[in-house]
Amino acid sequence: MAYYRRSSGRDVSFRQRLRSRSWGIFLIIVTIAWVWLLNTAIGPLPPLGKILDPVSGALAAAEPENKNYTDEERFPRLKGNASIWWDDRMVPHIHAASEHDVYFLQGYVHAYFRLWQMDMQTRAAAGRISEVVGMKAFDFDRKQRRKGMLYAAENSLRAAESDSRTRAMLDAYTEGINTYISSLSYRRYPLEYKLIGFEPEPWTNLKCMLLLKYMADDLTGKTDDIPHSYLRSILSPGDLALLYPDKIEGSTPVIPSGTAFDPPSLGRPTAPPDSVAFPVYRSTDFGYRREEGKGSNNWAVSGSRTASGAAILCNDPHLGLNLPSLWFETQLQCLGMNVYGASLPGAPGVIIGFTDSVAWGLTNNYRDVKDYYEIRPVKGDESKYWFAGKQVAYTTRTERIGIKGKDDFIDTVRYTIHGPLIYDEHYNEKGSLKRPLAMCWMGHRASNEIMAIYKLNRAKGYEDFVNGILHFECPAQNMIYADRAGNIALWGQGQFVNKWKEQGEYVMSGWDSATLWRELIPMRENPHALNPAQGFLSSANQCVTDSTYPYWYNGDYGELRAWRINQALAEMPKVTVEDMFALQNDDYSVLAGTVLPVMLAHSRDVQGNRYLDTMRRWDSRLQAASMAGSIFQLWWRNLYLGIWGDDLGRVPDNLMPSTERTMQLLVTQPDLKYYDDRRTKRKETLRDIVLHSLKQTTDSLDRRAKTQGLEWYIGKNTSVTHLAKLPAFSYNKLRTGGWGNTVNAMKGDHGPSWRMVVQMGHEIEAYGVYPGGQSGNPGSPYYADYLQHWVDGKYYKLLFLPNMSSQHNDRIKYTWSIKPE
Amino acid sequence: MRAFNTTVIILVTCALAEWLLPWWSIALVAFTVSVMAALRPGKAFLTGMCGVGLWWLIAALYRDIPNHHILSTRMAELFHLPGYGFYIALTVLIGALTGGMAAAAGALVNRKR
Repeated sequence: MAYYRRSSGRDVSFRQRLRSRSWGIFLIIVTIAWVWLLNTAIGPLPPLGKILDPVSGALAAAEPENKNYTDEERFPRLKGNASIWWDDRMVPHIHAASEHDVYFLQGYVHAYFRLWQMDMQTRAAAGRISEVVGMKAFDFDRKQRRKGMLYAAENSLRAAESDSRTRAMLDAYTEGINTYISSLSYRRYPLEYKLIGFEPEPWTNLKCMLLLKYMADDLTGKTDDIPHSYLRSILSPGDLALLYPDKIEGSTPVIPSGTAFDPPSLGRPTAPPDSVAFPVYRSTDFGYRREEGKGSNNWAVSGSRTASGAAILCNDPHLGLNLPSLWFETQLQCLGMNVYGASLPGAPGVIIGFTDSVAWGLTNNYRDVKDYYEIRPVKGDESKYWFAGKQVAYTTRTERIGIKGKDDFIDTVRYTIHGPLIYDEHYNEKGSLKRPLAMCWMGHRASNEIMAIYKLNRAKGYEDFVNGILHFECPAQNMIYADRAGNIALWGQGQFVNKWKEQGEYVMSGWDSATLWRELIPMRENPHALNPAQGFLSSANQCVTDSTYPYWYNGDYGELRAWRINQALAEMPKVTVEDMFALQNDDYSVLAGTVLPVMLAHSRDVQGNRYLDTMRRWDSRLQAASMAGSIFQLWWRNLYLGIWGDDLGRVPDNLMPSTERTMQLLVTQPDLKYYDDRRTKRKETLRDIVLHSLKQTTDSLDRRAKTQGLEWYIGKNTSVTHLAKLPAFSYNKLRTGGWGNTVNAMKGDHGPSWRMVVQMGHEIEAYGVYPGGQSGNPGSPYYADYLQHWVDGKYYKLLFLPNMSSQHNDRIKYTWSIKPE
Repeated sequence: MRAFNTTVIILVTCALAEWLLPWWSIALVAFTVSVMAALRPGKAFLTGMCGVGLWWLIAALYRDIPNHHILSTRMAELFHLPGYGFYIALTVLIGALTGGMAAAAGALVNRKR
């Protein structure tokens, strides 16, 4: 260290040195404080120094655009050699020698690209978000606990682990995820862990179940029992049936009308008298809130109606549009399995896709599998409630909610014979009924949906398909099928209860045993159709059957998309995959086509309104750039609220008559009493409301035109939002057409989350696209690389490799050669 | 000349330290090297600033250029900065200030000139 020995120059005096040293110590303290500040999250700000550090901070996630993924990996836990071929879209094609190895590698790859998302979604399911973000997620978490999400997942885990096949599948998948997690240092954590400030935790089989329950809750969580009870208390039976019919007239059901149903093995239970079944409420017993629904389309065309002679299957589930995407494309191969499709990071197997023999797709079935019961507590004893004339003790679950920066919150949730007491004196949510309510949900029961996935992924034909889906109990799905023999089929599949008429349509008396869920309908009797005469099958969340189906059920259905799809398929002569692309992207609004003529007829005399002139020339297509789309949607909204707002504006969950029903009434009943605005002395007619709503629309469009364009896509603002709601990692104002009332159901934050078209010919020809990319890393070129393609309504040709241990295909870009050691 | 050498030593040592240690090792390095170098406090501040600042600039560009600014652009938006250049500049600024302060403290503690 000679260099550092003082060489020359004036020495400083002892006193000066002493003074400097004091300053030095002061500056050390300042520097330590500065570093501490930069290493600490303050309010919403992440620890700035830690994040900005280009070595281990955010920039560690910056992935080179031309990164070469080719690699040799060694996993001691594998049983044999394996390969993962990455194609030009970064879809992993996993080939392994055993079932264990293929699920191990799927787990590894899911974690490799989507670990943070998997962690967050399962935390969300379990009500554990507050642990990492603090109080702001507390209400959400508490609701999850109250709904019994963890209870549901634990029940299903028992079912899945009691079967050796699904147990092995889950164990291998979890092992793969944990192998990846244990290879991580802070530097390689997904970016969001660093920004939010927490660490990955070991994966468990329970988390897979939590993810599936999260989906089940998303798809069957909404139930109209409470608003229906309200409506029942304010409307006469006649008006209730007029405005809220159980089945919409002219419905084109999932299982085509005329399909013969097997005779029921169970008789219809007798309904108890209303006074026994349903408590009576007054309108003041309810709060107020609103929610938005979801939907999906699928359809299959039999080989007899396609240009190629092969059956075609299409599916586009409309779910929340988020980044990282809900879906992850993959192909899985081992002995007895060769399957391609969309998988859910956090669950083993392929959820929607095709094998080398069959293709399948899902839409939500919407039959009601969640009912509410009012509970009569025993006065003076919090541990008991009344049931069948006796005092019954609750069972309890202690829910410990961890909250970052605060003490844990302990909630004791009491369970009744029906299910968890979701609302009680300790917890009530704005908008629910102000009574103690227990929730009875099919999702709480032990079911093994993983087994359905296991079997579907190996299906060779229709029998395999049916044997597989019969394990799929909740969430109930319309499961569409097509195979290489040209067969098509559709099942309204799920586990349902043999209900008496109106059972569970309203909040029920939880103290009377007559209201209990009793026998289960044998699932083979679920409504289904195989190769119908019409040559196609479709579902779009419409009513499941016509009235000839022997069992009673209710549900929350929409008909608009189904009308359009069924009409389009019926008129297509020789169907091609291009026709299917066009239909999935179809933005013709049946609603506009039906009601606009009525609206225009009533405004016949209005002159000089430029918006109205645009409407008169419009073809009812909600195209991205169309101004007419914006005008119509706003005009319709104003008209709809003008009709119902005064009479039914206070219904919980904003449950006004459906769009379909309103549309029909407008066309068929020009003199309905509801057209009158009860808030005015005058008696208004339909014409008055149409003109008034036109005026409102004109005014608000004039205002809006001053600040932004009136193109449809701007107003509706289709967005794909990062799961942590960070705008910097999200996309909005996507240039898309369509809306919830068109086949191309591009709404604000929901839309076609995976579009798939598969032609089941000699060679399987498959196309797909989803709004995102394979990587969950915002610093990766593969984070959102499919997005523009999806916005443009284009498709990728999917690479389906033969089941072989070596491949020669130009589209394979990188290979992982994997050895056990 | 000695200031220049000290700067280079800080830069290289930071790079080595950050291979294993968390980001705040840059402050430890700047401090320790500065104690040994015994420069004047003002000069020491400059060497710490340049040494660490340059290291973070090099490290940031090494990650950012092959990434074609995908991540730095998003991070800039997250921090409400007008562009990725500002994100890199902020990185360099924070690194430089930390290095400068730590180095000045080191020089003051062991002031010989």
